[in-house]
Amino acid sequence: MDYLYDGSFEGLLTAIYLNYYEEKALGIYPEANYQYAILTPYKVVQTDSLQAAKVYEAVENKISRETLRLIYYVYLSSHPRKENLILTYVELGFKLGAKIDGYHTHSDVFPIAATARKVSLETHRFLGLLRFSEAKGFLYAVFEPDHNILVLMAEHFSDRLAGENFIIHDRKRNLAVIYDQKEWVLTDFQVDKDFQITDSEAFYQGLWTAYFNHIAIDNRKNKKLQAHFIPQRYRHNLVEFVKSFPP
Amino acid sequence: MVIIMKTLEKLAILADGAKYDVSCASSGINRKNTGGLGNSKAYGICHTWSADGRCVALLKILLTNYCIYNCNYCVNRNQNDIPRATLTPREVADLTMQFYRRNYIEGLFLSSAIERSPNHTMEKIYQTLDILRNEYRFYGYIHVKVIPGADPQVIHKTGLLADRMSVNIEQPSEQSLKLLAPQKSLKALFAPMSLISGHIRVNQEDGKRSRSLQKFVPAGQSTQMIIGAANDTDLVILKATEALYNRFQLKRVYFSAYIPVNEGPNLPAISTAPPLLREHRLYQADWLLRFYSFKADEIVNIEHPRLETALDPKIAWALRNMQLFPIEINRAAYEELLRIPGIGVTSALRIIRQRRLASISYDHLPKMGVVIKRAKYFITCQGRYFGDVPSQASMIRNILVPPIQSFQPSLF
Repeated sequence: MDYLYDGSFEGLLTAIYLNYYEEKALGIYPEANYQYAILTPYKVVQTDSLQAAKVYEAVENKISRETLRLIYYVYLSSHPRKENLILTYVELGFKLGAKIDGYHTHSDVFPIAATARKVSLETHRFLGLLRFSEAKGFLYAVFEPDHNILVLMAEHFSDRLAGENFIIHDRKRNLAVIYDQKEWVLTDFQVDKDFQITDSEAFYQGLWTAYFNHIAIDNRKNKKLQAHFIPQRYRHNLVEFVKSFPP
Repeated sequence: MVIIMKTLEKLAILADGAKYDVSCASSGINRKNTGGLGNSKAYGICHTWSADGRCVALLKILLTNYCIYNCNYCVNRNQNDIPRATLTPREVADLTMQFYRRNYIEGLFLSSAIERSPNHTMEKIYQTLDILRNEYRFYGYIHVKVIPGADPQVIHKTGLLADRMSVNIEQPSEQSLKLLAPQKSLKALFAPMSLISGHIRVNQEDGKRSRSLQKFVPAGQSTQMIIGAANDTDLVILKATEALYNRFQLKRVYFSAYIPVNEGPNLPAISTAPPLLREHRLYQADWLLRFYSFKADEIVNIEHPRLETALDPKIAWALRNMQLFPIEINRAAYEELLRIPGIGVTSALRIIRQRRLASISYDHLPKMGVVIKRAKYFITCQGRYFGDVPSQASMIRNILVPPIQSFQPSLF
């Protein structure tokens, strides 16, 4: 039986629940891009928060909090077979318990750790590389991450910029996190044209670009090293790489 | 428009004056935002990388580059004819806030040339932090340079608002300091360092009894040495580094390859390239001191006072101590694993965790993060040795550092 879920984390956990309490899963796939095959039976999973919560608690109690974190990060990744990686990993976890992560090189464990690591590295990178600009009444940031890390960004910036209104926009997925000094929501989001920035925004962008150009030491110039840390694909959203302001 | 150019110019001048300071760390302290702007993350966050490949985490800036001192190596020495500028504490605080809310930076690294007197300068640094912390309620990261010779009380009240403080000792020995900065002495530099480490210790003790106690320099103290301006060997430098860690519990000792900015009889010629590879090897050695429980004596000693440039210091050490190798992956203690070239803290911990459950085979090692290219000459796995040459120093060296081939003319 193939289980098709709605793309939510709860939906995925519900499918894992059904794998144990109804019928064993051959695979779990997002319903949106499932390739229907004649001979494979499938079932569309009705996301059930109670069933999801049971799996959530079972993973936390019978395996570990770390396993829970790992599967959530893999769920956020853009790995094409992430649901099935998570399924086989959780199945092994219920057999082995907390010591599962000691089997670092196991073929069901290694891809989980490696994928979660990619998500976590990208998140860490964007905590620094995200750039806000000031529009009327709010701060706006746009980025195109490889993985779906908006929620992780929201957790970080809703504490850091608690007194601001802000929008973080994932242009690749047409999603955004909107925060209003109290709480954030994740929502579908698209903009037709750029927001009008404030006058002082242009001023500070100029200052920052000048600062950025002056802080480099000419005798140590090393563009290759710089490119290692900031690949070209990130640069069009970074004001210091886009603006050519007088030094 | 005039005002805009003014701030821009000042920022440019004072960033130019600050950029030879190496540290840009924003790590070592977790702090939440409690009703203002910003927070701090112990893991540290880099925000961009400048054209020299160095990470930019903090707004690194001088309050002023007007200086009463004339240190030979320093770009800001008073005899130099360079553009000078001064920012007010409020200007610096405003810049910090505006850069921070746009997520350009993790916080502020404030330093200064000595204008008028050490005390006057330190007081202005304090005023900047006072505005940021108490008026603007800024919870981001702040690193301040301590001005040697400033009143201990001013240093103390500044430390209660800062996360990290540093005093640059600049040179690892009294002789080279005398040569390059005749107005400074190591003793005068050690005084504020020892003051800060003392306050940190007392503050940590008191903090155990009272959780609400205001923390003093919670992310610790660091310093910086210039490499290659005088003739000190790596032995002198690493011994000094080790002593600084032990004596003042420093979090970091930074090395800065000397970049000739001034002409002078005691200085390398202005055309001298900065010794970047040497600086890199010193940082590798520093890692061995801090995370691999090496002693400075093991890395460099009287017979080998300089680090090899062709090999990293860990391999160089291993090749001098081949009697300890090869080491069996499945039996070695954690401390022994850490001594193997190609194995680091993460891979050593993975090995320990996994071998409790099952014996580790050679094929597992790359997945664990072990660098096989180096490690294979120094280990056995399940009793077998996997190097392509015998585990002998000279043969391994030939492979890791191929001797320079002489040009062989071909027949055609």
